Amino acid sequence: MERIIFYILAAVIVTFSFLSVTSAKILRAAVYLFLVLIGIAGFYFMVGYHFLGAVQLTVYAGGIVVLIIFAILLTEQIDNRLARPKAGMVIASAMLALLGIGVSVYSILNHVFDKKIAGQLATVDDIGTKLLSFDAGGYVLPFELISILLLAAMIGAIVIAKRPIR
Amino acid sequence: MELGKFLLMRQELLLTAIILVLLCAEIFLSREKKAMIIPISIGLFALQTALGFIPGDYGQLFGKMYQNTALTHFMKNVLNIGVLVVLFQSASWIKRDLIEQGRGSEFYLLIFSTLLGMYFMISAGDFLMFYLGLELSSLPIAALAAYDIYRKKSAEAGIKFILSAAMASGVSLYGISMIYGVTGSMFFDEIAQSFSYGALEILALLFFMAGLAFKMSLVPFHFWTPDVYEGAPTNVTAYLSVVSKGAAAFILAIILFTVMKSMAVVWKDAVYILAALTMTIGNLFAMRQKNMKRFLAFSSVAQAGFLLLGLMAAAQMGMAAILYFVLIYVFSNLGAFGVVQAISFVTGKENMDDYNGLYRTNPKLSLVMLLSLFSLAGIPPVAGFFGKFFLFVSAASEGYYWLVVIAVLNVIVSLYYYLLVVRAMFLRTSDNPIPYIKSDNLLRIGLAICVVGVLVVGLYSPLYQYIFELGGKF
Repeated sequence: MERIIFYILAAVIVTFSFLSVTSAKILRAAVYLFLVLIGIAGFYFMVGYHFLGAVQLTVYAGGIVVLIIFAILLTEQIDNRLARPKAGMVIASAMLALLGIGVSVYSILNHVFDKKIAGQLATVDDIGTKLLSFDAGGYVLPFELISILLLAAMIGAIVIAKRPIR
Repeated sequence: MELGKFLLMRQELLLTAIILVLLCAEIFLSREKKAMIIPISIGLFALQTALGFIPGDYGQLFGKMYQNTALTHFMKNVLNIGVLVVLFQSASWIKRDLIEQGRGSEFYLLIFSTLLGMYFMISAGDFLMFYLGLELSSLPIAALAAYDIYRKKSAEAGIKFILSAAMASGVSLYGISMIYGVTGSMFFDEIAQSFSYGALEILALLFFMAGLAFKMSLVPFHFWTPDVYEGAPTNVTAYLSVVSKGAAAFILAIILFTVMKSMAVVWKDAVYILAALTMTIGNLFAMRQKNMKRFLAFSSVAQAGFLLLGLMAAAQMGMAAILYFVLIYVFSNLGAFGVVQAISFVTGKENMDDYNGLYRTNPKLSLVMLLSLFSLAGIPPVAGFFGKFFLFVSAASEGYYWLVVIAVLNVIVSLYYYLLVVRAMFLRTSDNPIPYIKSDNLLRIGLAICVVGVLVVGLYSPLYQYIFELGGKF
């Protein structure tokens, strides 16, 4: 049963990611991306990472895709279609992509991974404590660094977008 | 944890404090007094640079996520010097153009936050911190590259940079995820113990290296470089080509020499190919450039190729050679960019032909440019020669003679095109030369630091001795 669900989810993710990058209409590409992100959330639920699955659904599928769609609607690019690349370029990049997939799949399949039994599943309590703990295994430093990253990204975005004072 | 232990990350904390002070200053300074932000920023950052040279304790924090050694501390000092010079050189541009548009203090905020990202990247003890540092050091640069919003080329530079940076981060992250899959750890010291030779490990290593190769614009990851360098404001280009590239070189050397030690056979081959390609292709393209910024862009691609030679040596020697080379490169490249900035700021001219007869009208600027170009080319009395010399020696010490031969041939090619600029400035005459440019005092200080660096760093040998000792401490 689990195996069947896994393959269904995998098929969903692969199909829609392919459609998302090949679609010529930008709004459709965004919707396909939304479906990919939901599929990934499905994986998290399957392995029991409920918190991560919920975050994936709310933040990525819920927040970010909606933001992307808003951006598309606001910039009025919705009717524009992507120009079709030349056939030669399509073939060349498809071959390169297939080569990349081949190499990755070959080396991943030939690697013997250490099987680890997942320990106690993390509760929201544990996650909260670890996120703000500064001892070994705590994540407060990256947490704070991300806040500076977001601040800098926000300042950068405003600087480019705002109308200059005249 | 004791509060005193936080002093281990004193440079990071101080820089964060400076960022916050500038944020408050931006909010509370009235519109008429906005220009005050320039002396405040430069003053605070000069303090930061000076305090960096005070010795202190080194160690690890946050469960090994952050590590500060004498080596990483010195690397940050080198980056600080570079940023300080960029700040001196950019002051008049900010005063004239940006303050007017109400975008002056944001420039400093973005520069400082990218520098903070580089600090954390160099001091990272695990791949999570490394990745966050990498992002923080490249994301705001896209905004900086697009800072000149009235010029289409600048906007183009911003979008080109962010798209290729995102691609490179993605590839690098894929590699990191493979490393995690193989070893089950994100921490550098644990990975170093269990990382062993295998197909997936090689793939992971190459993907990971590709991301940093993009930041250092090594061939074949360099396609973004000329367009971004030409489109971005000159000061941002200087920052990108010196500080950003230097930081990426540092962390690449640290990770390859420590974490990936067991894979040296593999990455030495990869670095060999990258170095040969980067030097040769960078040089061949640099010869054809007519725009000074594009010319310096390709010359800096070639310089990064030379830098890779240091990775071929044993850890201590190679690390020292790279650190020493970057220190010299900071002075020589920023000197050249400073002159380009001074001229394009007043006249808007950026082409090599415009420099014809520059010596007759602007002898001082021409001399600074001459010294910087000689240093970039590696002509003996100036520092650049010693930087290249130690890199070549370190590659030769491990028996990579052919690579050294390729490098020496490339030095000869690079002499040709550096001398093209010298010929234009000193030997050619022009009916319409660039008029005498009176540069402001801050720019002069910036150029003076570069000249002193180019002249002194090579001849003052205790400095190399000091760097060589640091090279062993990581």
